[in-house]
Amino acid sequence: MSFRDQAAIAGVGYTPFSRNSGVSTLTLAIDAITNALDDAGLTVDDVDALATHRVGDSTPPWVVAPALGIPEITWYLDQFGGGSVSHAVIGQAAMAVASGAARTVVCYRAINARSEFRMGGTGRDPAPIFDAQYQAPYGHLAPPQQFAIFTRAHMIKYGTTHEQLGQVAVGQRANAVKNPRALKRDPITLDDYLASRWIAEPLRLLDCCLETDGACAIVITSAGRARDLPVRPVLISGAVWGGGDSFFSGQGGDFTVSEAARIAPRLYAMAGAGPEDIDVAELYDCFTYSVIVQLEDYGFCPKGEGGPYAASGATRLDGALPVNTHGGFLSEGYVHGINHVAEAVSQLRGTAGDRQVAGAEVALSTAQPGYVLAGTSALILKADR
Amino acid sequence: MSLPDRPRPDLDRDSTPWWEAVRRHELLLQRCDGCGTLRFPPRAVCGRCRSREAGWVPALGTGRVASWTVSHQVFMRAFADEVPYAVLHVRLDDGDGVFMYGNLAGTNPAEIEPDMPVEAVFADVDHELALVQWRPR
Repeated sequence: MSFRDQAAIAGVGYTPFSRNSGVSTLTLAIDAITNALDDAGLTVDDVDALATHRVGDSTPPWVVAPALGIPEITWYLDQFGGGSVSHAVIGQAAMAVASGAARTVVCYRAINARSEFRMGGTGRDPAPIFDAQYQAPYGHLAPPQQFAIFTRAHMIKYGTTHEQLGQVAVGQRANAVKNPRALKRDPITLDDYLASRWIAEPLRLLDCCLETDGACAIVITSAGRARDLPVRPVLISGAVWGGGDSFFSGQGGDFTVSEAARIAPRLYAMAGAGPEDIDVAELYDCFTYSVIVQLEDYGFCPKGEGGPYAASGATRLDGALPVNTHGGFLSEGYVHGINHVAEAVSQLRGTAGDRQVAGAEVALSTAQPGYVLAGTSALILKADR
Repeated sequence: MSLPDRPRPDLDRDSTPWWEAVRRHELLLQRCDGCGTLRFPPRAVCGRCRSREAGWVPALGTGRVASWTVSHQVFMRAFADEVPYAVLHVRLDDGDGVFMYGNLAGTNPAEIEPDMPVEAVFADVDHELALVQWRPR
């Protein structure tokens, strides 16, 4: 099986990130899609497919399409799910293009995650997650609480420290300082991190991503067609998703291994690349811990050594494996996965400005690594030469 | 404790017998009739041998702390008066891979340690609902 390099990313678009967009998720979606099409040198008339993911918190393709005046939709995807499916949406769009089901797909994610639908659970009913009944009555449902349990398990088994978690936050903030789009651009120190208040022990405020209003969109078309457009294409070389264990399946009791470990071999095989080939990695950072576990499970360091690896400086902009070059969800903003893809595209185009990784040719971009809902998804993207 | 204000479990057709047992202060597990695997949370089918035949057996009611968190943020208004409170992820002594969540009882969060032995106790919410909690033993 392979649709390796058959589809390409031809454009990316953003809305501003904020704590209160003042507009609907429909308007956010339209703005991000329009900006992405401008970036690609395409118009609404060129679009024949839309794809998104949501958890009851956004506007679906079949509302966006007529609102935007898309003449006819030939394929769409309205994927239920959170961050773990974010990259599966892109992968499915690439499959749709490779199969001929669609010519030009725009993938988008539009959320008012601060002003309307806070995932922290304050004031909102519990999400319709099947096994929530075994957690919510104990006051255990919000993402920071879930990840606190996983983080603690990793600390117990491998000795991962607060300081190592803190180095993830500090390093990513240093990248965000160089990113005009980032919500948080003031540098922080390890002391700042250690002084930040507890949210759900062992996670502090600065372990947590930013609840953000905003949208991001990605234009996908065939590699051949993308080469006729004004900007240099970024090829979708690897796109996989899947998994198996859920956080409460009764089979996935070892929280120190994520679903990334399961899909990584398929991802690298599809792309014809390995961890040693990755020039830049945008790793889903809903919390600092998810970066650490993915450094291990995508094969950048031995199992259990993600904390020391992150603390070594290897993941800084000038390190061996620059990670979350835009500041990530911790400091740029959190558009539920898709702004990682957009940043990877910027890096591979060589347009990332002060935070550009010199000579970046191959990027890994990943989804939430499969905690909470079973499964994860990831992409390997390559600059077209 | 503001137990009655807490989110109530959203029961389904597989889980209702388990919750009814908890209301009677009994902690149950499913045991597959096909392969003997102990199962939680409740499901109609065994994920190992696909048998649809299963029975309910009493759990030992003991386990060890696999992981835990102490919430300081008020994520749900019903817990505004309870922060900081602990939620434990407990590895049951009944067998590998059987875990349950629950609140800490009988001590304070600072006393929790990895692998700490705990036992299930029950907290009545009202005449229709009880919750599982875990206390050191």
